[in-house]
Amino acid sequence: MDAVDARDLTKRYRRRGGAVKVAVDHVSLAAAEGEILGILGPNGAGKTTTVEMVAGVRRPDEGTVRVAGLDPFADRAVVRRVLGVQLQSGYLHGALTVRELARLYRTFYATGRDPDALVELLGLEEQRDVRYERLSGGQQQRVAIVLALVGDPRVVVLDELTTGLDPQARRQVWGVVEELRDRGVTVLLVSHLMEEVERLCDRVTLLDAGRVVAHDTPAGLVAGTGLDQRVRFRTAAPLPPGVLDAVPGVDGVEVRGDQVVVTGGGDLLQGVSTALVRAGVVATETRLERATLDDAFLALTGRPLAAGTTAEKATVR
Amino acid sequence: MTTTDLPLPAPARHGLRPGPRAWAALVVAEGKMVVRDTAGLVVPLGLPLLILVMYGISDVNTVVVPGTGGRTVLDLFVVPVVIAIVVGTVGVVNMPSFLAYYRRSGVLKRLSVTPASPAMVLVAQVVVSAVQTALGVALALLVATTVFGARLPASPGVALGVLALSAAAMYAVGMLVAAVAPTPNASVAIGLVVFFGLGATGGMFGDVSNLPEPVARLGEALPFGASVQALGDAWAGAPVEAAHLVALGATVVVCSLVAARFFRWT
Repeated sequence: MDAVDARDLTKRYRRRGGAVKVAVDHVSLAAAEGEILGILGPNGAGKTTTVEMVAGVRRPDEGTVRVAGLDPFADRAVVRRVLGVQLQSGYLHGALTVRELARLYRTFYATGRDPDALVELLGLEEQRDVRYERLSGGQQQRVAIVLALVGDPRVVVLDELTTGLDPQARRQVWGVVEELRDRGVTVLLVSHLMEEVERLCDRVTLLDAGRVVAHDTPAGLVAGTGLDQRVRFRTAAPLPPGVLDAVPGVDGVEVRGDQVVVTGGGDLLQGVSTALVRAGVVATETRLERATLDDAFLALTGRPLAAGTTAEKATVR
Repeated sequence: MTTTDLPLPAPARHGLRPGPRAWAALVVAEGKMVVRDTAGLVVPLGLPLLILVMYGISDVNTVVVPGTGGRTVLDLFVVPVVIAIVVGTVGVVNMPSFLAYYRRSGVLKRLSVTPASPAMVLVAQVVVSAVQTALGVALALLVATTVFGARLPASPGVALGVLALSAAAMYAVGMLVAAVAPTPNASVAIGLVVFFGLGATGGMFGDVSNLPEPVARLGEALPFGASVQALGDAWAGAPVEAAHLVALGATVVVCSLVAARFFRWT
């Protein structure tokens, strides 16, 4: 049995004027025990609504949720003890300090982790006596993660856990998630950061406009879209024709002035480099580009994952 | 899948609810929230003292009311009013403002995804409000007796009982304010209007015999006026009028039920 099993979750909102918007449309997702499942999608894809239904915060209009085999609404008391939740919208007692909050929330659980150690683990040692309301957004975010973990949950929902964090804090939080993996904790990780998902997640459910568009491993998603690698370089002299044609894995070569783009698969960079050296071509600024989840998302939906990211054209043939 | 199919070890069902440690920790947490909100303490501790001093420097402690064992207007009217102000500001203004803030900011929502229920916060707030009330009443009585020569109630047990019932009534009104207020600001505004409305018709700004008869009758049936009258009787050692106790009891029941019906957690 999966640690998290949600089937056909549907949530509708009635807009002003009576029009009904389907925020989440028959979304199913499952995370095996110990798995880190990424839920990736652009803003407004229904990620938060989906995990709030999994967490038992919002009642689905249709569909079923089981967390550790239990219904979060019918078996609320049991589920609360095994499920740790970090919500985007949750706020805490503003006048309490980081340490006071961690210790307070620890008392809600019969068993759990050492609150002070968790505060340290999330890099909040220096802020432990600072009131929550005086913390920066990123620090408040990390307190939320402390509280999600303080009951030593078997399943954790983390909604945009690194939003507002600087790169260093982000890596620290990623380390904490990897520690959860080592402890065998099942994690539902909501994100719109491709890098985060590629690094942490065993599998990914891609959401767009309230629907599941794909579900696979990060590598599988990228491979499944048929996007391949690209090697770019510049040449001092024009590239002699045919030099790269026999290189294994090469699908196409595009020459634009002194810039060359080779598309293909396999060990493309190695093959191209060897062929260039043999042909006596001097290549500079050689770069290998791999398709990413961003590219996969673009290929699946026709839209970039995050507004502002410069998703490159998928094919350069 | 069926729920009987449990390859994961079934979570134990004992000790599902947070125990005494969690309750104690939450009460302490709410206490810290109240104490650290310094501005919020000014009204329940400062306003009653101000009213007490303003009356105290007049001649109220020299006017003996006949048939009360030498008790003065200060004992029978001013001290009850001051106590009602403490109870009312804590219950009707302060407590709902915390609860509205907790709801608005998402504290209640956050608690709802822990084994603790957000209802525990309500209970903890009531406990802390009771402590705050006790401190405010003790402070007011200390100043009244030592500075202005007020006397303690002729029926202390009755006075304590009436105080407890008054507090319950005011907290119930506060829960109703918290239930209907859409925002923390609205909660403070509604709380203040309700508090001053109850106070004005109940004798906070002077003897209710100066008010038009219907207004005075109404005020007496509302929690502030009923508290003042019942406490006055306890101070005089006179039997407390059943109507006042009924008014307070009815406030507890009606406001609690309506609050429970309309309270929104998110």
